[in-house]
Amino acid sequence: METVTWLLFALGISLILAKIGDSLIERFELPGVLGELIMGIILGNLVYFGIVAPQYLPIVSGEGFTTDATQVSEFLAKLGIIFLLFLGALDTDVEQLKKTGLTATVSTLLGVFVPLIMGWFVLMEMGYPSKEAFAGGVLLTATSIGLTVRVMMDLGVLKSEVGVASLSASVMDDFLGIALIIFAVGTGSLIDLSIKIVLFFIITGVIWWYLVDHYIRFAERLHVEKGVLGMVIGMMFLFAALAESWFAAAIEGAFMMGLVLSKLPEGRRLMDDLRAIGYGLLVPFFFVHTGAMLNLTVFENADALVLATVLTVVAVFGKVLGRGFGAWITAWGRGREFLFTKENLWMSLQMGIGSIPRTEVALVNLMVAIHGGAIPPEDAPKFIAATLIFITVSVLITPPLLKWAFKNEIEKARSSKASRKVERIMETKEKIKELKGSQ
Amino acid sequence: MELENALETFHSMKIESIMPKPETLPVVEKDAEIINVLKLLRTRHHVWVVESRETMKLVGAIRLLDVIDVLLPPDAYKFKLGMTRGTLKSLLGGATKAGDVAERNPLTIECGATVLDALMKMKKYRVQVLAVVDGDRLVGEVSLRILIDELLRLLRVGGVSWKR
Repeated sequence: METVTWLLFALGISLILAKIGDSLIERFELPGVLGELIMGIILGNLVYFGIVAPQYLPIVSGEGFTTDATQVSEFLAKLGIIFLLFLGALDTDVEQLKKTGLTATVSTLLGVFVPLIMGWFVLMEMGYPSKEAFAGGVLLTATSIGLTVRVMMDLGVLKSEVGVASLSASVMDDFLGIALIIFAVGTGSLIDLSIKIVLFFIITGVIWWYLVDHYIRFAERLHVEKGVLGMVIGMMFLFAALAESWFAAAIEGAFMMGLVLSKLPEGRRLMDDLRAIGYGLLVPFFFVHTGAMLNLTVFENADALVLATVLTVVAVFGKVLGRGFGAWITAWGRGREFLFTKENLWMSLQMGIGSIPRTEVALVNLMVAIHGGAIPPEDAPKFIAATLIFITVSVLITPPLLKWAFKNEIEKARSSKASRKVERIMETKEKIKELKGSQ
Repeated sequence: MELENALETFHSMKIESIMPKPETLPVVEKDAEIINVLKLLRTRHHVWVVESRETMKLVGAIRLLDVIDVLLPPDAYKFKLGMTRGTLKSLLGGATKAGDVAERNPLTIECGATVLDALMKMKKYRVQVLAVVDGDRLVGEVSLRILIDELLRLLRVGGVSWKR
């Protein structure tokens, strides 16, 4: 009975504080997820510092904290990850992605593999085993689309060539980032893993792509309350279970289910119900839980700070370099003569800077890597601290850097607005003159 | 009894027999200016977006409620994974064409379906209107208003036969 009581209490406190934290941080025009993480850090450290006994706040895990309630809250957080990726995929416009141009494709590939390889090698140089170093590299791959979109919208450049390419590239590197974590947590030989990936893609992507329509029709014919919703979530969990058993990464199943379902109008109509479950309960709990896993005592030695500094530097420069170079080398489809121009360099730099922020997918990959064993328990606190730091730095530096990178476009827009205003005033004056003349 | 008989006939009616003519539909091409969409939405609850008027290939739909996303400034949105689509519809955020703000893949029903099929679909997904399609071509629409009109017409014209 007590377990249930404290679990309900922890859930209640977590959700209320998550929403308050989200709201507070949004006021500073920063991603709300930071607020949820901060609330988690506060709650978790009430336990780590012995202010609250662990059984009363079962949102932290680790040695010495394992209780039934902790296991349940860990599972709820996992459900949060699954729902987050499911929602992310369901919101994807697959048709739009098909139209992605060469610049976005090349810059996505380099924008993912440059930070991955840089992170992998730097971490190996620091003495981490190859698998752990690879997992660390994967954390750096996926850009958070939200912040860049918001800033580009504010600057009025989202519909520019760079804006459109950035948008497509950010969606695509989520795909790659989520897919690559399989190689970090998957077990067995590379050939076994590759066969499993191909099989998984055939089952959940190709076959399901053709069957999903019939499945939804079948669900509709059941004529029960929220029947389609229940059947969709059920199938999503089956996919997640398959992915968990083959790759120790349930998110892959949820992501594929969301992606396939996004092609159907019926799937899209379920969005509101799914968001209610996801963002009303599971996703904020996942962020609070992740924040609560950061034990601030980890900063007692320099290891965590060194790791955080290295990952931050690689995250920022790796992305700008990779995505920027990828865009530069394609010369934006304007031919060789454009390659060595200042404009190409500047546009590519804008593209690179737009790819700096990381949030949700980095946290999801972190949790998958920890739970999948790619990051061992003794290193988990360091990686949690480092990831939270590079996420925070990346979202803080992106807006001012983007404003700087787009300063010419902003100036042009301002001056054309001003000149249009002057033109309109002149036109009005002319009309008044004409009217006076006719009188 | 009169109403029961009318409803029975009503439910089994084919959608194609009651839907309005295609030329009366609120349709815009995907490259149409948003302002034209807004003008249509002053008197309609939705607008269908098609590839071109020649092919009538259905691209999406813009409902009256979608105008909220169109009119809001970009900073009114929450930028979270799984919640970015609405954001991209903002006029101030850069949306200019009907295709930018249309919800792709709207709910559809085949023209051979019955009124009962349409009602069941409307109930399941809480929508008031469905696009009637022949393959991927928009050929009509069925809305609750059309259905009400049809039921009332049935009651009016068939009143004597229902009683008999």
